[in-house]
Order: sequence, then C-alpha cells, then structure tokens
Amino acid sequence: MFPNRRDVLRASAQGFGALALQAMMAKAAGVGAATNPLASKQPHFAGKAKRVIFLFMVGAPGQMDTFDPKPALKKFEGQKLPESFGKVGSQFTDGSTPILSSPWNFKQYGQSGMWVSDLFPHLSQCVDDMCFVRSFQTDSVVHAPAMYHVHSGRILMGFPSLGAWVTYGLGSESENLPAYVVMPQPEGTPEGGTPCWGPGFLPAVHQGTVFRSGANPIMHLKSPVAPDRQRRTLDLLQKMNQMDTEPLDSEMAARISSYELAFKMQTSAPEAVDFSGESAATKSLYGLDEDRTREFGGRCLLARRLIERGVRYIQIYSGGGPVSIQWDAHSHLKKNHEKMAGLTDKPIAGLLRDLKSRGLLEDTLVIWGSEFGRLPMSESGNGRDHNPHGFTMWFAGGGTKGGQAIGQTDDFGLYGVGDRFTMRDFHATILHALGLDQNQLWYLHNGRNEKLTDFGGKVIKQVFG
Amino acid sequence: MYRVVSLGLIALLGLAEPAAELTKADERVLSRKSWWSFRPPARPEVPAIKDPWVRTPIDAFILQGLREKGWTPSASLPPRQLIRRLSLDVTGLPPTPAEVAAFVADRSPQAYEHLVDRLLASDAYGERWGQKWLDVVRYADTNGFELDLDRAQAWRYRDYVIRSFNESKPYDQFVKEQIAGDEIWPGNHQARIATGFLRAGPEHLVGGNTDKEMDRQEVLVEMTAAVGGAFLGLTMNCARCHNHKFDPILQADYYQLQAIFAGAKGADVEIVTAAEKAAAEALLKTHEARAKPIKEAIEAIEKPYRAQLKAEKKLLLEPHLRALLDKPKEQRTAAENVLAKNAESQTNSTWDEVVNRIGEPDKSRRIALRRRMHELDRDAPAPVAAAYGVENMEEAPVTHILKVGDHKMKLAPVLPGLPMAFANRLPVPSGVPGRRTALAEWLVSPEHPLTARVMANRIWQARMGAGLVRTMNDFGALGERPTHPALLDWLATEFVTQGWNVKAMDRLILLSSVYRQAGTLDALKMKTDLDNRLYWRAHRRRMDSEMLRDNLLALSGELNRKAGGPAVRVPIEPELYELIFTEAEPDNLWPLPRDVTEFSRRSIYLLNKRTVRLPMMTNFDQPDAMSSCPQRASSTHALQSLSLMNSGFAQDRAKAFAARLTVACGLNEACRVKSAYELALARIPRPAEATLAREFFGQGGKLEEFCLALMNRNEFVYVP
Repeated sequence: MFPNRRDVLRASAQGFGALALQAMMAKAAGVGAATNPLASKQPHFAGKAKRVIFLFMVGAPGQMDTFDPKPALKKFEGQKLPESFGKVGSQFTDGSTPILSSPWNFKQYGQSGMWVSDLFPHLSQCVDDMCFVRSFQTDSVVHAPAMYHVHSGRILMGFPSLGAWVTYGLGSESENLPAYVVMPQPEGTPEGGTPCWGPGFLPAVHQGTVFRSGANPIMHLKSPVAPDRQRRTLDLLQKMNQMDTEPLDSEMAARISSYELAFKMQTSAPEAVDFSGESAATKSLYGLDEDRTREFGGRCLLARRLIERGVRYIQIYSGGGPVSIQWDAHSHLKKNHEKMAGLTDKPIAGLLRDLKSRGLLEDTLVIWGSEFGRLPMSESGNGRDHNPHGFTMWFAGGGTKGGQAIGQTDDFGLYGVGDRFTMRDFHATILHALGLDQNQLWYLHNGRNEKLTDFGGKVIKQVFG
Repeated sequence: MYRVVSLGLIALLGLAEPAAELTKADERVLSRKSWWSFRPPARPEVPAIKDPWVRTPIDAFILQGLREKGWTPSASLPPRQLIRRLSLDVTGLPPTPAEVAAFVADRSPQAYEHLVDRLLASDAYGERWGQKWLDVVRYADTNGFELDLDRAQAWRYRDYVIRSFNESKPYDQFVKEQIAGDEIWPGNHQARIATGFLRAGPEHLVGGNTDKEMDRQEVLVEMTAAVGGAFLGLTMNCARCHNHKFDPILQADYYQLQAIFAGAKGADVEIVTAAEKAAAEALLKTHEARAKPIKEAIEAIEKPYRAQLKAEKKLLLEPHLRALLDKPKEQRTAAENVLAKNAESQTNSTWDEVVNRIGEPDKSRRIALRRRMHELDRDAPAPVAAAYGVENMEEAPVTHILKVGDHKMKLAPVLPGLPMAFANRLPVPSGVPGRRTALAEWLVSPEHPLTARVMANRIWQARMGAGLVRTMNDFGALGERPTHPALLDWLATEFVTQGWNVKAMDRLILLSSVYRQAGTLDALKMKTDLDNRLYWRAHRRRMDSEMLRDNLLALSGELNRKAGGPAVRVPIEPELYELIFTEAEPDNLWPLPRDVTEFSRRSIYLLNKRTVRLPMMTNFDQPDAMSSCPQRASSTHALQSLSLMNSGFAQDRAKAFAARLTVACGLNEACRVKSAYELALARIPRPAEATLAREFFGQGGKLEEFCLALMNRNEFVYVP
C-alpha cells in the first residue's frame, strides 16, 4: 500500500503537518524503511541493551595505574624486565628501560571488592556496577591504527565504525535527532580523526554526527533566516516536490520527509543541549559546578539527555589535539593521568549514578576504554610507552554484571594471561548485549559480506554474569 | 606446494614455473573455473527483432528480454529532459538554456546524434569519466591515517586520467600504462605518472619504531587489491588468508599476484629538464630566504620562555637527576647517561606550554609573525615537478605465502605468477623488470575473460545507472549474475573490436532506445521487477555529490571551468576545521589559495583529503577513498537536507543564483521565474508552478529563497 496522491496533497494542504505526513508514509507497507532508513528495527534476539554510550580515553591510560593493580612492580622498580619476556618493543621504546611502578595506591571498593587506584575517588564508588575486562589485546602499537581497530574492527581506515553498525542494525528511536552522536574533546580530535566515527562503506546516513555545546550543536543546523521565513521556503519546496511525486514513488517521499525531519531537528537539537531544566543536584552530580569537571561533565549530561530522547549510540572522547590534553603519558605519567582523571572521574561516576537512578542503566550499555594500554617499563624516566598486549576496558549497565573482573594480565601488567580477548571479541560482546548476532549483521561491499567482527569474535559471556 | 621453490633455486635457475603440486582441496577450488566469468566471452548473435524501437543491437537484446515477459519499454524522454539527462550523464554539467532551445528547435533526424557527438567531444566528458575512475581506484590527495600528509604531486595522475578519457585513449593502453607504464614506455612522463594508480590507495606513514615489514605488506596488499577490483572484478584479497571461499583463487595465487609488485616501490620521479629543475629550485630558495627571517624572529621570541620553562622543570626534578644534568657528559657513567637523557627530556616543553607562557607584547608580536609566515607560504612556489608513481628496485625480496595474511607467519615462498584458474596465463619473469608488464599484457590479451567484460559493465553502468552485473567489482560467485549475459558478452567483444575505445562504446549506448527511455513507474512491472533488471524504464539516479556541487555552481553562474593542476582547497566550516587532527599549533591547517575564483572549480579538482571530508559531499554519499567504490551509494536523510538548505555553500549559491536572475530579468518576476526554471530544470514553469511562485512572492518570499527551494527540489537533485 502506498499513500495515494490525494493523501499526499491533503497532507500538504495542512501546511505540511510533518507528523501526519510521516505517519502516512510509515503506514504504507514497505515504504517505512525507504522513507526513513533510520526507522527503529527489531534486534536479532532480545538483548538487554537498547543503546550505547562509549567513553573513549584518547591516548591510552595505563592499566596498572587505573583498574589492574600490579603490586609486583614495586618490587622490580628500576630493574629491567626479566629476560623471559624476550624483546618487547613499542612505538618509541625498545624494552630495555626499567620497570616503573604505579605512582598510585590501589584499594578495594564496594561489595564486590573491586580494585581501583586513587586516581578515581568517584568512580571507585560505582564498582559494583562496573564489569572490568583486564586482558584485551589489539593489533597495532600506533594510535591511529589501534583506534581504527577498536572503533571499526580493522587497523585500517575505511571500515564502518561501531556506531554505524549499531544504527545499521537497530535504526534509531529518535526521529528528530541523529541516531549516532559524537562528542570530541573541544581542544581537538583523536589521532584517528573523523574516520573513527565514519560510516565506511555503509550509506552516509550511518555516519556519526558531531554534537557541540552551545546554541548550534550540529553543523548546518541553524537556518540563517527566521523560522517563519524558513518554513515558508520549505512549504514552497514541499509543494513543488509534491508536484513531481508519483504516488508510487517511495524514494521521492523519503526526500520529502527528510526535510520535515531536518526542520524538526532544528528545534529538538537545541532543546537537547539546553540544561536549564536540570536540577542543581543533577548538575552537581556531573561536576558542572566545578571548573575542572564542567566541560566533560556537560558532555556526559548531554549524553544522558540524548539517550532519553532516543539516540542510539553516543561516542564521547576524553582527550584529543595537543599531547597535553591526551592520556598519552610518554613522560610525566603522574601529572598527566592526574589531570585527565581529574577531568573525567566525577562526570563519569555522575553519569553512571544518574542513569541508575533513572532506571536507564538497565538498558544502556556504558563502555570505558581506549586504543591500548601502557607498558610497565618506563619511558623518559617517568612515563610509559604503548602496550597493545594486555589492557583493561570496562562495561556498565545494558545487562552486564557489575562488580567483577574478567581476564588478567601477568604480574607486570604486560601481557594478558589465560583468557585473552581481541577487538573482535569486544565487538561481538557489544553486539550481543544489543541483541545483534555478529554473523547476521553484514553488508555486501565489493563482493564480500563485510561484518564488524570480520571472521568472527567470541562473545565474552562472563560479562553478562 | 605450488610453483614453490627454494630460494637457492630461484637464484640459480631464475625458475619461471616449476610444476605445481596441488592438494585435493586446491583442486576443488580450481575446479570452479568453469564459472561463467572465467570463460572467455563468445560473440553472441544479435536477436533478430524487427521493431522501430530497435536502433542499436543493444536495443534488440533488451527488447528480447522484455518481450519474453510480454512487456514493452517505456516511452522516450521528451527533448528537454533528454538533453538534461544527456548533459548530466556525459559531462556532469547542465545544458545551457540556449543549448536546450537549439536542441528542441532542431527537427533534423540527426539532432540527437549531433548532440551526443558534441557532448562526447567536450572536455567535461573526461572530467565526468575521470571522477568515476578515481572512485574505482580510491584516489585521494593525501596519505590517510593520523598525519594524512598531502601528496603534493598526486594530481598529475588525476589529470592523466581525465586526459586519457578525453583523448579516447584505447583502454588496453590505459591499463598497461597504469600497471607498467614505467617498464613499457621508459622515459615517457605520462606513462610514469600513470603508475600513480599503484600508489593511489592509503598509506600509513608515521614516526617511531613501526613494523617495516608489516607496513610494506600493507602497501603490497593495496596494490594487489587495486588490480583485483579495478581490472579483474574479483575479490583477490579474499584469498589473502586462505583459499578463496567462492572463486577459483588459491591463496598461492594471491601471493603470486602480490609477488608481481614485490619489486616495485613508490617513487617521486622528477619529470623536468635540468633547466626547469634549476628554475624551480631557485624559486624555492628565494622563498625560503624570505621565510627565514620570520621563522628566526618567532624562534627569538619563544626562546627565553622555553628556557624559563626548562629551568623551572629542572627544579622539579629529583635532586640526584638535577645533579646528573649538571655533571659533564664525559664524566657520567653509561647508566647515568641514560638517566640524564630521560631527565633532559622531562625538562622539555610542548608547543602549547610555551605558547601559553608567552606574555604581551611578545604574544601579539608572535601571532603577527606567524600570520606573516602563513601568508608568505600561500605564495610558496610549486615543488620540482615529479611523477607520483612507482619504480623497480634492483632486487625484489622473496614473497611468501603468509598464514592468515600475517607477515610474521611465513609459509612457502612463491614466484611471481598469474592466477592458475585462467587459461590464458602468460609466463612472468622471476627477475624484477617485466613482472608488471607481463601482468598488464595478460590483462589486455583479447582472450582474457574478465578485463573487457568488467570495463564494458562499468561503461554500461555509467550510462544506465546499474551494471548488467550489478556487483561491479565482483564477477565471482558471490557477485550477481549478469541480468543479460548475452548483451554483456556482445558489449565486451564489441569493446575489443572497437579498439578498446570507451568513447565509441559510450556513443553506442547513448544512441540506443534503452538509454532514451523515461523513468516512468509502473505498479504492475514493479511487482515482479522492482529493481528494473529488465530495463523496462530508466533507472532513478540522484546526482552524486560532485555533480550536485558542480551543478549548484553552474546554476549560480559561478562555475570556474579551469582544468587541471594542483588540488584546490576550498573554505571549510569552522566546525570542520576543529576536527582536523594535529598535535601541533592548529593555526594554519587549511591554507586557502589567494584566488577566490579557485573556490568555484569543478569538484574533481578539489583537494581530496582522506580524514577531512567536506560535510555536504559526505552527506551526499561521497566515498571515503579508502576502498574501491564502483558505484555511489544514494542515501536520503535529514543531514542532507540541512546542508542543502542551511550551509553557507548552499546559501551563497542561492544568493548568486538570485543575483544572476536579477541581472537577466531586472525586477520582472515572471521572467525571473521562467529563467530560473530554464536554468535549473531545462524547462519552463507549468501554469501551476507559475502560480505557486506568484503566491510565494506575494507572501513576501524573497527571490533567493525561491532559488534555494528550487535547488533543493527533487526534480533538480535527480537526473531526469
């Protein structure tokens, strides 16, 4: 069933009641998907998680300085790594530098007794909701390829990012906002640049959309003319489009409705970034009342507001641009991580608490991670080089079981031992949480059924308890 | 073991082709070579159909398919729409109102044929085809990855491609130049530039201890993938980790093909005379001399602040480290030297620490100096002209089959060679020179089952909107079967017979009745053939991003038709500027040319930077130049509408379009509307449309707003 010409004209006579038009289009069987490629879709099976917030720590925090305590490092402080490890090269060091113990103490927290370093006084209070996986590994020792790996499953550019796959698989629950929102560090972009949230070979509709604070959160959102003038131009356009549109023509109908969605987005996006309706207590929870945490806290609060409005996938970056605003502590580890953790600890804890108190944590998967970890040996005396062999990321909410740590690294925090997990496993697990089967989520590109996990990862079942 | 030999044997005998020893599994894979696309095309009989609709053999093949269903083709497109379609397809640009009027008035039976010939002869033809070819080879002007540095000379390959299409260069020569131009035509600059094909893909260049062998493997993977996708229409890369799962390609085949490139490396080969080089170098020297005092002045400002920071940081060091730094180097032990080096690096400052420290008036002086430096750089002379291509090494490292494609897991060594499933294989020399020549000669041998079919299919798709094989880069078992196998083979053999002349094939297709059909919808036919596999109507095609931008500039009368030359940066949104990755001072990341008319160049000449995509182009599905794109996606979404309504680019074009109408018509509203329709849609407004426009202006609508609406209209954005 397609809407007939008279229905369409009637809708236009009502001054393009966008909702009426939209509903009419959606009603027409088979036209729904063509009208809005981001229409919400059923998952492959019932997954607890409905949406994702991925907090990405650009430059890579050290796992032995954050969530993976390595008391042995104290014992070996200043010594060389035992020869049994063989040659452990990294991007800037050759493995010959001495062991550097963590400048921070670790304590156990919560009912679960999870270990967290003193870097995170706020997050440590949330450990019973956090599920740590301590033995991830990745394929590159260099930031950009490693970032592409964690974002898109390959160390190369040009593959669809995680958020693109998720919106391809599930569509969006919001009609008036982008399905996939990205919030970079205001000072600059992560090394991988915009391909980190690119659509790869998926249609452009699956690209991440950068959101900024302020009155104009999305590029090209603001009309340069007053709303009534714009509406009048839009009405002229839509009336002309109606003249061209055959009743059978779902593609043209889709274009017509895309203009109405765009028009609505112009009011709904600024509404989402307006925090005036939030209580002082909520703002304080995210650290909006402190200089240090205001910026990152604002992005975390915005993330909550966007998922409330149906956004499917949100990527937030801590760090980007100048090295002094990244976690990439090749020297001055202590100063660097204290600064970066200080910017993010309270806001992330605030986000977890706020989601929990609103009942949103149950079906929102929160991920914290980075492109790799850091080495137990020093660089420049008081920093660390990159470690792709074993590092920690954590999950919260979305059906994951908090208060546990899965996998481990050796006594030095260098290599994963026992159960080691690849980026394919990481992605398979996220898709699983969302009710998506990694093997059913594919896209034919240049003769190959491309999948996020390529030849397949294993779902880390323990994550779900 | 496949033509696998010991390294000693290779050296001793220069063995070309030892006997293959295939496993049972290999034989099973190779037995798939009976797949249709691995058999050479045979010239089919043209269906004998007597019907006035049949103007060309193509029409006979298509009409036969329709008749089997009892269907008839759609009516021919009316002249105004026909000329608009033809112009957009062939040149990517709209017809002028005068051209439309002349065509409509031309009653001669050859009117259409003359139009086709005129458009095929236009320089814009090569620009349009060039864009399609650049998509296939994933051309860009930068390396990609974090640094994403400019390839300052890569544009010569882009110009070479455009020129090749415009000159009707035979496609077999085009293939040979791109794969082995340096070997076959040594000393020929254009042939050397053509090898830029092998370097068109992304390349990861970054500092530090990267794995050189892995980097090299990535380069070879890119070269092999390029040939597989562009010429063979096969997913060769699927056999990188294991025997191909669907096609008769062994993992050994993949590495034998890769070995053909093992002796080739990227090289910027100068293509100038000694005098030209001296002149270019003199200009560069003068420029450097002008820049030097500015750079020194900036350094002089920064120096004391950097020293101050260093002194402060030194005070923060642990006392024993500080003492070490004060100790003369020759008195330190080796261990102390390591510690001192670390301590020294801990006292260094990053650029932002230094800049944040600089106070007035130094701060303002420094900013002014950096501006002067950047202004000066805008006039920087061009580097010494070079071909961004490849050259042969003295010796090629031995290629190994790699377990799951991992360079650390080497299996047996292989010699360079061509895939075993093909009947027309040629021997490939084991020495470095001539390997690529052999590959090229094999590809263009008339018996090759794929080369002509793959390109004939691309030409068909360029004109018809969908390939006869819809999976353009995959003629293998996972790809789609041709909708019209006989027509495809007829086109492939005709292509070779016509001397691999792309333009002649274009002409043939454009003159057909199939091409001239309207895009009329039909509920009954849509029920059984929604995808129009039988070509009962014209395919719906939205303008691609480049065509859209070029048409907006043509509409506003601003299009700068200057052809060729270095890639052009156009102004970008501040939000996009912020997303350019740098760890350095972000104050000159997007230097614009001085000549503002450069901003209105055709899109094919704009800088294609892999990590910085123009938002409007991306929204309209411009590919990311990371993998071969044989056919553009066409998505429809709200961000597209936002950029075509609200972006500075769209707004500015609407204003310029309005100004153009005012110049032509003064304040005469009916004239403006009529002229707007003629320019945008190649037709005059219908009465209802004229009324709509009058109402709009009556309510206070502005001309530029009317223009903006027209620019967003479905009829404008879609090819008729």
